[in-house]
Amino acid sequence: MADLLGIGYSGLAAAQRALTTTGHNISNVNTDGYSRQTTELGTNPAQLYGNSYLGNGVAVTDIKRVYDEFLVEQVRTNTSSFGSVDTFQQFASSIDNLLGNSSTGSSSGIEKFFNAIQQVADNPSSQAARQSLISQSDSLVNNFQYVNDAINQQYGQVNTAIKNSVSQINALAQNIADLNGKIVLATGAASGGTPNDLLDQRDTALTNLAKLVAVTTVKQDNGAVNVLIGNGQSLVVGSQTQTLSIVSNKYDPTRYEVGYASGGSGNVEISGQLSGGSLGGLLNFRNQVLDTSKNALGRVAIGIASAINTQHHLGTDLNGALGGDLFTVATPGAISSSANTGTGSVTSTLINANDLTTSDYKLLYNGGNNYTLTRLNDGQTFAINTGGSSPYTTSAMDGISLTINAGAAVGDNFLIQPTKRGADDLSAVITDPSKIAAAVPVIVTTPLSNMGTATAGTISANDPNDRVAIQFTSSTTYDVLDQTTGVTLAQGVAYTSGSNISFNGWTAQISDGGTPPSAGDQFYVDQGVTTAASGNTGGAAINQATMNPPDPGLTGAVTITFTSSTTFNVSGATTGSPTVGVPYTSGGIISYNGWNFAITGTPSSGDSFTIGPNSNGVGDNGNMLKIAALQTKMTLASGTATFQDAYGELVADVGTKTQAAGTSHDALNALLKQSTDARDAVSGVNLDEEAANMLKFQQAYQAAAKVIATSETVFQSLLTAING
Amino acid sequence: MRISTSQIYQRAADGILDQQALLSKTQIQMSTGKKVVTPSDNPAGSAQIVELQHSVDLTNTYQKNIDTAQAALGSEENALSSSTDILQRVRELTVQANSGALSDQDRQAIAQQIQQHISSLLGLANSRDGNGDYLFAGYSTNTLPFNQTAAGFNYAGDQGQRFIQIGANRQVAVGDSGYDVFQAIKNGNGTFATSYNNTNTGTGVIDAGQMTNLTSWVPDTYTLTFITPTTYEVRDSSSALITSGTYQSDAAIAFNGIQVSVSGAPAAGDVFTIAPSSNQDMFTTLQNLANALNTSVTDSTARAKLNNDINQALTNIDRALDKVTNIRAGVGARLNSVDNQKSANGDLINASQIALSAVQDLDYTEAASRLNQQLLGLQAAQQTFVKLQNLSLFNFIQ
Repeated sequence: MADLLGIGYSGLAAAQRALTTTGHNISNVNTDGYSRQTTELGTNPAQLYGNSYLGNGVAVTDIKRVYDEFLVEQVRTNTSSFGSVDTFQQFASSIDNLLGNSSTGSSSGIEKFFNAIQQVADNPSSQAARQSLISQSDSLVNNFQYVNDAINQQYGQVNTAIKNSVSQINALAQNIADLNGKIVLATGAASGGTPNDLLDQRDTALTNLAKLVAVTTVKQDNGAVNVLIGNGQSLVVGSQTQTLSIVSNKYDPTRYEVGYASGGSGNVEISGQLSGGSLGGLLNFRNQVLDTSKNALGRVAIGIASAINTQHHLGTDLNGALGGDLFTVATPGAISSSANTGTGSVTSTLINANDLTTSDYKLLYNGGNNYTLTRLNDGQTFAINTGGSSPYTTSAMDGISLTINAGAAVGDNFLIQPTKRGADDLSAVITDPSKIAAAVPVIVTTPLSNMGTATAGTISANDPNDRVAIQFTSSTTYDVLDQTTGVTLAQGVAYTSGSNISFNGWTAQISDGGTPPSAGDQFYVDQGVTTAASGNTGGAAINQATMNPPDPGLTGAVTITFTSSTTFNVSGATTGSPTVGVPYTSGGIISYNGWNFAITGTPSSGDSFTIGPNSNGVGDNGNMLKIAALQTKMTLASGTATFQDAYGELVADVGTKTQAAGTSHDALNALLKQSTDARDAVSGVNLDEEAANMLKFQQAYQAAAKVIATSETVFQSLLTAING
Repeated sequence: MRISTSQIYQRAADGILDQQALLSKTQIQMSTGKKVVTPSDNPAGSAQIVELQHSVDLTNTYQKNIDTAQAALGSEENALSSSTDILQRVRELTVQANSGALSDQDRQAIAQQIQQHISSLLGLANSRDGNGDYLFAGYSTNTLPFNQTAAGFNYAGDQGQRFIQIGANRQVAVGDSGYDVFQAIKNGNGTFATSYNNTNTGTGVIDAGQMTNLTSWVPDTYTLTFITPTTYEVRDSSSALITSGTYQSDAAIAFNGIQVSVSGAPAAGDVFTIAPSSNQDMFTTLQNLANALNTSVTDSTARAKLNNDINQALTNIDRALDKVTNIRAGVGARLNSVDNQKSANGDLINASQIALSAVQDLDYTEAASRLNQQLLGLQAAQQTFVKLQNLSLFNFIQ
């Protein structure tokens, strides 16, 4: 029977539960990820009285959380995107600041170094100026290494951050797995009801996970949620988790990668497949900013060191000795992958800094004698065939050559890093001021006995980087022309297959294995890189040149004697031809033994000029002027950038990436706020609303209590009526 | 649209944080005076700034180099100017010494003065600059350029000429070697030189001669021999006869595009030589003169020899003067071009700094008004927050 007491009590109980839920909402107003809960009320089944149904009060049918799954997923996705850019921007800003700061950046270091060079050029015999140059060389090295060290530190910080992220991800994954287990049990026990708070907690854990790495969720029928990362690797399956770990990069044990336990094959590196979240941001930053910056800085360091060294070798110091290295030049790195199964190895040599890029390269062994070299920045490939010889040295590619020792297994990989250690390995070599080679090693002397009006111009050493063309005039003779300066170095030289051809301080060999070159064939030596003209019809080939400037005969005594006012003979020259009956034109450049100068005017028959070592020339600054000129010469990026240009490119590149990250940061932040707002609009607790609800249910409770009181009064009346 | 309580607080807090960030940025800009604080503020602008800064620094270095160049050229000009004075003084003395009224002692006195002048000239040739480097030693700046031995004057320097970078593509020479200034001086009239034989017994005095037709001149050593006191022959180095004729005092003897003249009374067998000019340093010229003046004149033959010597000396001194003037003109031209380059460099520095300022420097007016605006924004955000957080239904429920 429908009884007033029962109905009153049902109202009371319903109001009480509703109040409890409202109280729960109010208490959790500041709980992260909490979705407000509403009490669903429904009428109890009515009872039939005669031909009408009497209501039976109210019951709580469900306590639901107000929740839109789509909005929550939006927030999660946007959290990942924003987290990635946020981390990226944070780290990129510090590199940006470092490079842009004019006192710590390397641009002013380069400037000061060249100022010191100019000072020596102004006063070459001054020990003070020379000592100052040595100090500035040290400063330049310090400067590069300061920036380099900061970059190295960032690598360390990124490693630490990756490690922390991985352990946090593991902890969160475990948390989600536990919650999955609890939710499955709770859902089963409630047979249809939802464990709202547990679900909220799991959502919060998932959002926190999304901050670290982008995740995909798959709902299961039993209420659990499976979590996938990367390209579909499962992180949480029901109440089980897979652990992420830290593995070493295959080429660099100090570089942390994210590892995933994959069945029986141990930990597989999955860094390349992860994106989003702060972990994705860290990995992006390391690849796009740190790696590029270190390589670009290295390239500038290598460029400066090798260009200055080469020119320094062409000078003479205060002791009359030829100049040595001013700086150490880093050797390109070649590392075997730790996953290699073969025994092959690779080393790399620097050919010229001008052709260096800022990219790393991968060498893959395909089997047979075939390797593929891939430039990682743009995917450009070069095919290499060793033809079976081991060790095999390739021709120059992008400024380096590789020497491959056979023994690799198919699929073996090697990482070639031409510029990575450029700044690490930069150091100043000279400590003795008198060893700075400011003078040109040779000098021209005009005897007083000359009767004509011919005078000698300034003599200088040929630049070993000049583009020199070896032009065959027949299959047994060739001419040599320095195409950069237009000077003829030799004419009518007799050709023998395989014998040394040396000019300007390099040596190469042209060999023909039986099929001689044809007249008109040309070969070029340009910055140490040898090439054959594409139109060659003969069977000769040129091998890789070795550079060892200057020409060994540079300081040998040579005499030019005029046999008439238009011809001269040369005695004592070891490089260059012809040496007898050479035609003379006023102002024409004469080159032998790796030097060149011009005679202008009209010589008389019998006049002579002697070229010999500049033994006493402490006041000569000729070589210093050449070194100073390197500051404004385009010696990097295939002749399109000076040292400072290349450094400037690095600064601008990081600046642009940081600026782009900043813009993305703002945009994604706005997007995240928007989606959070949308979610909060549905699920967030509004205290004023809850206050109104509280009043509502309070009144309902009071009214229901009154109903019970009324039912008691009715019962009392009945009892009183029975008792008389 | 529904708003949750946490959203209200979050939005207010975000608003305040955003305003603070903008304010902080403006503050940094105003305290550094730069619009571009980090490269990411304006990557393209940063690259430009680096370029312009580099241009300014490099051009300033060239200006410093120019100072060095000007000092060096100045020192050289001083030494050359003093050398000119000495040579002119000696020339005056030489003209004086040619007078027939002087006695041996008079001439010896003049010779002594000339000896002094030779020392002074040697001293000038061995000048040093402020760093202790020899000005006229070529590249061998630590080596004493000129010294005198019994055999003559020795040049121990080399023929190098140092250059200094004064502009992007400009180098200027900052010295001349002692070889060029003091040694490589062609004697005679520059093309050929006349001399007399020591064994002559007549009183013939030959002049320096002159070029009449350069294209007909055949450089060779010619011998002018007096067969008799009134006839002469000119033969070349292979003894071929070029011309001959009757001798008349002061009349021109012309051949192969040149002409010379002899005055006085040459004896039969007297020989004069006409040879292409060769190099003779100015010290030797002056020393020869001093030696000639120290020789006593006993008869007319000796007098004729003295006159010949003085003629030669005067000609050679003129050549030396020409040479020094020539070099001085070169130094003058270099100093001019250095001055021009200095002002061109100055202009470039100015232009670069103006461009640099445009890209880099903060417009304080704009920044100040922006700062005020942002302060206002921050204040508004903060005040709104205070007002909002006071409103709650719970305040009104008993």
